[in-house]
Order: sequence, then structure tokens, then C-alpha cells
Amino acid sequence: MSVVAKLDEARAARRQKTLIAFNAATLRLGGKTIIENLDLQVRPGEFLCIVGASGCGKTTALRLAAGLYRPTSGAVTFDGEEITEPRREVAIVFQDYGKALLPWRTAAGNISLALEASRVPARERGARIEALLRKVGLPGHADKYPTEMSGGMQQRLQIARCLAQEPTTLLMDEPFGALDAMTRQGLQDEVLSLTEASQTTVIFVTHDLDEAIYLGDRVIGLLPHPGRIGIELDVDLPRPRDQLATREHPEFLRLRRQLFDFIKATEH
Amino acid sequence: MNRTAILWRVASVLVAASFIAAWQLVADLRLVSPVFLPGPDRAWAALVRGFSSGDLAGKLIGTLEHMAYGWLAASIAGIALGALIGSSRTMRAYVAPSLEFLRPLPVSAIIPVAIAMLGLTQGMALFVIAFGAIWPIMLATVHGFAAVEPRLYEVARSLQMSRAAIIGKIALPSALPDILAGMRLSLTVALILSVVCEILAGLDGLGHWVLLSARAFRSADLFAGVILLGATGYVTSIAMSLVEQRLLAWQTAAR
Repeated sequence: MSVVAKLDEARAARRQKTLIAFNAATLRLGGKTIIENLDLQVRPGEFLCIVGASGCGKTTALRLAAGLYRPTSGAVTFDGEEITEPRREVAIVFQDYGKALLPWRTAAGNISLALEASRVPARERGARIEALLRKVGLPGHADKYPTEMSGGMQQRLQIARCLAQEPTTLLMDEPFGALDAMTRQGLQDEVLSLTEASQTTVIFVTHDLDEAIYLGDRVIGLLPHPGRIGIELDVDLPRPRDQLATREHPEFLRLRRQLFDFIKATEH
Repeated sequence: MNRTAILWRVASVLVAASFIAAWQLVADLRLVSPVFLPGPDRAWAALVRGFSSGDLAGKLIGTLEHMAYGWLAASIAGIALGALIGSSRTMRAYVAPSLEFLRPLPVSAIIPVAIAMLGLTQGMALFVIAFGAIWPIMLATVHGFAAVEPRLYEVARSLQMSRAAIIGKIALPSALPDILAGMRLSLTVALILSVVCEILAGLDGLGHWVLLSARAFRSADLFAGVILLGATGYVTSIAMSLVEQRLLAWQTAAR
């Protein structure tokens, strides 16, 4: 058997499995049902995007997977185990990078926070920090404070801190929502190459439909009040993705049309 | 330093110098009796004499000790209590009304109570100074801990940080600007109360020196003591600024 065939087989085997599962998960907060009977399976190594109109509970779904919320009924499991609290192999990239970074620590210090929490010995931290900064395209910025960095750089820094956790799963909550178009595209490609290289599972919440199709293996569209799945699309676009070629691909345009129609219908 | 900054500095020195010159003039013209108002020349001479005989240095050290011990005790207790109250919403709800009652209480009012309970002792002075100086620190710490960005606590949770690490690495550094501002206010309170305690309880220090000099109509010595007290307040405040600048370097980095 050739190496490629073996890889394909391994990939197919992984697809059968489920890493994160929502089993009839319902969340009520303050008398309001935010999410109702959500059933969703995320496969190991999959890049899953969640879209939907604002208030449809997409961020809430992510927080359930993160263990920051617990479902009122039903269950959310990680590797077959119920998620009761955040775990180290699951890293969360928050949208508001400005609030998620420690302003009193330099870039290196912010990454160090994750290493300290994982009990990495002090003498190993320096090299790890440098490698992580290089990985996210911030070499030479170790001694800058977050407030001295642009929005894009701060978000890269937050991603570096998440990677320092050595996560098997990344939960990203509209991570590029506050960035300009150019920075956004650059970061999209970097997230793709970072996660593909390490076979990281990603749940990526966004309100940008193009972004969802461009990044994802699968896109879920949620319906609001209460949040539930309204549409599920498999994205069969060739990888590696390319900002120009992928976005001009007929399949991309077809999915885009389908998703736009869905969102439009939910807004009425 | 740029040109305007230098000019401002020069101007401020000139203002101080003209103030001293005016004082000298008033004294020389005997507008106020020399029994009550010595000129800066006599005050300075008294200062030098006091230090060379060693009396004044001893008094200064006495006051500095009262101030430092009281302030440190207030800082430790204030930060600990403030952290405890500020990090819990229920604690804040329970304790806040009592704090609001105790805080505006003039500390001088509790001095007789403290003397009745502890006598005219160093312990009494320590208690009074610490009691007065704790409020700015404690209230600032409560505020600082209550204002920690909730997102940072989520980051800490997702990193599975221990409770001690969350306090030491997230809450305390986040509250530090508030805490330092409180400690700076308390420094002044501690100095005032040191002098008051020395005067009332006859404890060794500049307060006592000032009182005795006034009673003996040694106005030059009296002014020497007052000048030293002013200098103490000034120098400790500058030292505090330097510490703040160093610890909060990250705040100025962006601007």
C-alpha cells in the first residue's frame, strides 16, 4: 500500500470517530432558551465553522464546548467524556483580544502565562516562546506590550498563547471579526497552515459566510430563538485553499449562494 | 527633558525661592514677633544645630519608624482584606455598608479609645496609624479586584490556573494601579497620624519635638521640625512615584 493510500485510510478512519459531541444539548439562561436540543458531532482533525445571524447562540455553542457553560439538559462530550470544565488540550481564542491579553505582561510574558500553567520549567520557556512567536509571525516582538501592537498582532499573540497550551482542539470565537480585510485574509491562511500541520480540530465561529466556507471542512448554520441547526454543508474544496483560486471556484460560489439564502431567510 | 520642561522646572524653583525670600523679609522687618516667627536663616541654623547635636536625627528616625510601621501594617492588612472583599460579590454586598460607616469616621476620634485600651504606648500609635491608613488602601484594593476584566478569569480557567496563580498573576497585577494609588494616599495619612500620636502620647518623634519647642518658645526649633516634616512628606511621596513608575511601566509603554 502506498503512503498516500495509508494516509487516506487513516484519515477515513478518523472521520468515523467523534471528538466533540453535542447530545440534545439545551441551555437556558435567565429564563431564556439560548440553545435547544443541539445535536452535533465534530470529528478529530475537522475544521468546523458555525455561522448564523446575531443572537443565534453560536458563541454560546462554543462556550459549551469550552466548558465555560454547562448545558441545562443534554450533554456535551469530549472524547466520550462529559465536559464539566475547561481542559488544557482545548484552547479558546477570544474575539476581544484586547481584553484576553494581560496588558502588564509583554508578548513573551503573555505566552509564558500558558507555559507556567502547564508547568513548563523556566529554563525551557525562553526557547518555546521564541519558537511560538516565530510560528505566528511575530519574531522580534517578544518585549512589546500588547498595547504597543496592532490589532492583528495582538490576535496573533493570543493565538500563540493558545498554541503554547499544545491543544488538540482550538475553539475560535469570531477571532478576526475586528480586523481589517487584508489582515484577516493573512490570518485565515496562517490558521489553516498551523492547524493542518498539527491535525488540530477547530470549531470556528464567524458571521462572515465567505470566511466560513473558505476555512471549513463543514459549515453549520444556526437558526435563532432558540439556537438550533438550520443547515449543514460539507465543503468539498481542494486544499490547500487559496485566497483567489478557492474564492473563484464554482463550488465555493454555489455554497456561498446557498448559505446567503439561508441566512436571509432566517432574518425575516 | 525638552526646553519647556526645563523652563517649568526653573519657574517652580523661582517660586519656592521667592517664597523663602518673602518669609525672610517679613522676619527681618519684624512684622511678626521673632518669638513666634524666626526667619529662614534662624530656622536653617536650628536645623543644622539640631542635626549636629544628634537630637533632631533621633526624632526624625522616631517619626519615620512610626510612619513606616503603621503604613506597612495598613498596606498588608488593607491589601489582604481588600482582596478578600473585592474578589467576592457576596462579600462586597455584606461588608460594603459597614465599610461606608467606618470609612468617614475621623481617626482622631478613635485615638482616645485607643489610648484607653492600649495606653500611651508604641502599640497604640501603631494601631491608630494603621487604622487610619488602611482605608484608602483597602477601598482601592476592593475596587481594583472588583474591576478585573472578566475575560481574564476565563483565560485563567481555560488554562486551568490554580486559585493562588489566578490571584497572583491575574487579579493582583490588574488591581496594582489602584492599590498603589491607595498606598500613596495612605502615606500622607500615616505621616499626619504619626505626628498626632507623638503629640498626644508624648512618643519620641518630630511631633513631640515640635510640641516641646512651641511650649518653650523656641520658634526656630519649632520651624526646623516643621520643615523636616514637610521634607519627609515630600521625599516619601517622590519615592512612591518612582516605585509606581517602575511597577507600572507597562501603562506608559503605549503612550
